[in-house]
Amino acid sequence: MASLAVTSYRKIIHIDMDAFYASVEQRDHPEYRGKPLVVGGLPQGRGGVVATASYEARNFGIRSAMSSKQALQLCPDAIFVKPRFEVYKEVSRKIREIFSRYTDLIEPLSLDEAYLDVTNDKLSVGSALEIARQIKAAIKDELALSASAGVSINKFVAKIASDINKPDGLTFIGPSSVKGFMEQLPVEKFFGVGKVTAAKMKGIGLFTGADLKRLSEEELVRHFGKSGHFYYQIVRGIDKREVQPHRETKSLAAEDTFATDLTSLKDMEAELERIASLVYERLQKKNLKGRTITLKIKYSDFKQITRNRSFPFPVWDLKTIVECAKQLLADTFQDEQKVRLLGISISNFGTPESMQKNAANSAQLKLF
Amino acid sequence: MRFIVSTSTLLKQLQAVNGASSSSTVLPILENFLFEIRDSILTISATDLQTSMTTSLAVESKEEGKIAIPSKILLETLKTLPDQPIAFNIDDSTFAIEINAGDGKYKLSGENGDDFPKIPTVEDASAVNLPASVLAEAINKTIFAVSSDELRPAMTGVFCQLTPQHFTFVSTDAHKLVRYRRMDAKSESAASFILPKKALTLLKSSLPSDDVNVSVEYNSTSAFFRFGNINLICRLIDERYPDYEAVIPQNNTNQLTLDRALFLNSLRRVVIFANKTTHQVRLKITGSELNISSEDIDFSNEAHERLSCQYEGDDMEIGFNARFLIEMLNNLSGEEVTLQMSTPNRAGLLIPQTNDEREDVLMLVMPVMLNSYA
Repeated sequence: MASLAVTSYRKIIHIDMDAFYASVEQRDHPEYRGKPLVVGGLPQGRGGVVATASYEARNFGIRSAMSSKQALQLCPDAIFVKPRFEVYKEVSRKIREIFSRYTDLIEPLSLDEAYLDVTNDKLSVGSALEIARQIKAAIKDELALSASAGVSINKFVAKIASDINKPDGLTFIGPSSVKGFMEQLPVEKFFGVGKVTAAKMKGIGLFTGADLKRLSEEELVRHFGKSGHFYYQIVRGIDKREVQPHRETKSLAAEDTFATDLTSLKDMEAELERIASLVYERLQKKNLKGRTITLKIKYSDFKQITRNRSFPFPVWDLKTIVECAKQLLADTFQDEQKVRLLGISISNFGTPESMQKNAANSAQLKLF
Repeated sequence: MRFIVSTSTLLKQLQAVNGASSSSTVLPILENFLFEIRDSILTISATDLQTSMTTSLAVESKEEGKIAIPSKILLETLKTLPDQPIAFNIDDSTFAIEINAGDGKYKLSGENGDDFPKIPTVEDASAVNLPASVLAEAINKTIFAVSSDELRPAMTGVFCQLTPQHFTFVSTDAHKLVRYRRMDAKSESAASFILPKKALTLLKSSLPSDDVNVSVEYNSTSAFFRFGNINLICRLIDERYPDYEAVIPQNNTNQLTLDRALFLNSLRRVVIFANKTTHQVRLKITGSELNISSEDIDFSNEAHERLSCQYEGDDMEIGFNARFLIEMLNNLSGEEVTLQMSTPNRAGLLIPQTNDEREDVLMLVMPVMLNSYA
C-alpha cells in the first residue's frame, strides 16, 4: 500500500504570542489597556532595553531591543514597567499545556514562541490549519491572550508565516505555494539576515528570494560565508530541521553592528550596557544561567576577536555581565581602533545538577 | 605439561585471586593467571603490578612447568562446568592449552609463563600477627570513608599505625573521617603505612570467616599478607598522611545521645525530601528534642521529624550531608550513639555507646553551612 509515490509533507505550526509580556501586563492591569506600554528596563536606569512594547507603543516606533531611553523619546507618554518573569513563565507553562493536547513534538524557542510538529495528529483533528485555529482559540478563551500562527511544511516557512498577519494572525503556506512565497520574500526576512547582511545583499542587487535563487551555492558561500549553504537550501523551500522537543541551549548571545564605527571606549561601553541588557533579557526569558561570558569584537577591517572569562559559579545578574564585558573590552582596547560590531554571549550553562553540586561543595566544609 | 584437578577446587582458588588481575591494555599478559607446578603443587598468581595475589593447591601431575592462561575464558568455562575432574594438556613449545572435562574438549592459547611479571617478595620486613576477624573489622569500619580523589593519593588508602599499645586504622575523604583503634592488637616496634583501597577490598573479600591468623609483613614499600594458602602483596601508598589528630576537635561541649537505629531511620526518610545533590539535612536541638528537617525548594518537598534525645549543651542548629551521617551510622554498632559538637562550622563526632573495651571507634563528619539559622 505504501508503494504509492506520494510525497508526504510534515505539518509544522509556529506559534508566536502577540506582544507577549505587554499583553500579559495589559490583561492583568486594566489601567494599561489601550495605552502605549513598554515592558523592560526603566528609562531612568542605565542601559535598560525594551523587552516588549504593546501594539499601542509600536505605533510610536518603539521596538524590542531598543534602549528604553530612546523609547521614552519616541513616546514621552509611554508607561514603563519592569518585567515579571515569574508570571510570564507560568503563563508560558499554561500555553505549552494547550499545545500538548495536540502534539508531543513541541520545541519551545522562548517563553512566547514555539514550533509544533502536528504531522502525527493526536486528536485526529484532520487539518494542521484547524489545529492552529483551535490552539489560538484555546489561548484566547483560557488565557485571554492572543497569538499568531504560521502553518507550513517546515520550520522556516512556518515561522515567517506566523509573522505575516500579526497580531492575531493565522497564515497557511501549503506545499504548492512555498516556492512562490520564498521567491517574493524580501531578503531581510531570511533567518540570520540582519540589517548589515541585508544592506550587503541589496548592494549586490539581491532584494528577494528570487534574486537569491539565481545565485549558485558557491556564489552564495563566497558572498556570505557558511550561511550561504543555508540560504541556498532555504530559498528553495528546503528546511529539514526537525522540531526538537528537548533542544538544549548551548549559548545565548546578542550583538549589534553599528551604522558608524565606534572609536571611543565610552561609546563602546554604552553599547555594551545595552547589549548586556539584551542578553540578560534573553537569559531570563529562557530561565538560564551560564558560567562563561564571551565578548566579540569586529573591527572596521572585519578582523574579529573574542575574549572570554569563566566564573566558578553561574552568572545571572546584569551587573556582573556588564562589568565583565567592560573589563574584557578594556583589556583589548587600543586607541584608533574602529569597532563595527560588539557582541556578548553567555555559555557553559551546565546542567542544573552540576551547578547545584558546585554550590553544595562550597557549603560542605572540609577537614583538610 | 599436564595436570588433573577438580573443577570446583580450581574455581574456588581462581575466584580468590581473580580480583588482583587486571584488564590492562598496556600489558595484556595481566589478563592471565600464571599457573606454576612443582612437586604436584599448583601455584596460581594474578597481579595488576600494584597488588598481587597467589594461592596454591594440590593437583595430580608428574611434571613441572609454567603457563599463563587467559583468566576470563577460564573462569567462564569453570563456572559452567559441573563438579568433575578436569585435565589440562599444555604444549610447552606453542603454549596451546587443551582442556578435557567429561565429554567436552576445549582449546585455547596461553602465553609463555616467563613473560608474566615476577610476583614481588618483601625483603627486610618487619612482621606482626593479628586475627582475621580484627583485620576484617578494621577494614569494614574504615573502607567506606576512603577518598577516591586521585589528586590526593594519601587519602585513597587506609592509614595504619602500629604501636606497642594498640593498632590504629584511619580513613578520610576530607568530609568525613574514621579512626578505628584496636587495643588487643600490638606491635613491639612502632610503624605506620598507607594501604591502598584495592588491596583492602581484596583482603576483605578473601579473608576467611573462621578466625585464622593473618601474618603481616611490611617494609618501606610493600606489605605482605598471608593467611591459609593465600598470599597478598601490595605496594604501599608512598605519601604523607594528613595530620588527622589535629582536626579532631577536643572541646565538644554539646553532646547529643540517642538511639542509633531511630536516628538512622529518621535520616533515611528525611533525606528523601532533601535536595538530590546536596542531601542536606538540618538538625535543630532544643532542650531534649531533636528536630531533623530537609527541603528541596525546586520541587517544594520538605520533611520534618521530631526525636527525643538526651542533650547536654546549648541549643543549636547544624547542617549535615545526610548521606555521610547514614553511612557512618550504618557502620557503627551499639544501640546508642553520641554526636558531639562544638559549633555549626566545626566537625561533629559520632561515638558509639558500647562497652567493648577492645575497640575504640571515632567517626567525624564536617557540617554543611546552612544558609540561614532561623
